[in-house]
Amino acid sequence: MTSTERQNAGLNGQISTRTQPMFHRVLHAQPTRVRETLTAIRTRFRSEVSDDTLGRLELVLAEVMNNVTEHASLADSAADAGQQPSIHISIVRHDTGLACAISDDGVSLPEECLLPRGLPVMDLTDLPEGGFGWYLIQDLTQALCYYREEQRNFLAFSIPFTDQTGGR
Amino acid sequence: MQFTVTETENRLVITVAEARIDAAIATRFKDKLREVVLRHRKPVEMLMGAVDFMDSSGLGAMIAVRKALPDNLPLVLKDLTPNVERVFRLTRMDTVFDIRPAAADEEQTE
Repeated sequence: MTSTERQNAGLNGQISTRTQPMFHRVLHAQPTRVRETLTAIRTRFRSEVSDDTLGRLELVLAEVMNNVTEHASLADSAADAGQQPSIHISIVRHDTGLACAISDDGVSLPEECLLPRGLPVMDLTDLPEGGFGWYLIQDLTQALCYYREEQRNFLAFSIPFTDQTGGR
Repeated sequence: MQFTVTETENRLVITVAEARIDAAIATRFKDKLREVVLRHRKPVEMLMGAVDFMDSSGLGAMIAVRKALPDNLPLVLKDLTPNVERVFRLTRMDTVFDIRPAAADEEQTE
């Protein structure tokens, strides 16, 4: 059965209730919370997808959540936890990859983050120490999309399975 | 910040014991290691086999440590795990760092 047929399978209850591993969490945009969440995601999907897929997933999610942690704070000068954006993250395993949705209530994502980009200029006498995050996100994801609705940023993408054995 | 430093006559061997070089520790990692390499002023060999995960802030810290080495002293990275190797490769930093497979891992397949 193709994925289209499955989606059109209707309400007979047999196919549409097939369970797929999922992950959902709400967290404060804070480095140790991001780390805990990534560790939990690794644990959740470890037996479901290959090490390679898991590694790509973890790297992309780390970059996205680090960006929120570092740049989305509503008041940069305020150190109190009340100013940290709240991140909602959902991941679902599909037949061809892992579908991810991440939202936060921080400041708007600058448009240039989503424009196609290359690596930072490689000046061997003064190597860049940053500017890699969005390149990695764009390089490792498919169907990356973003929208802003009221006070939240929404980012969605998928991490494809690349090996012949699918998710394993 | 977990790492051990062993000094021999002609080089410094730094064994990183952190499982993750991520945004939670990147700044401390960078500051501590920069201080170590500046103090010893010797070629550095970093053993990275314990590091399961590194993000771009971790990569930035590694780049900062390399730039801190005085007089173009070499920095050799060994025992990279696949997740760490991926970040160096995707950012082309594998062309800048001297990355070597561990001698004992010659039979390891990609």
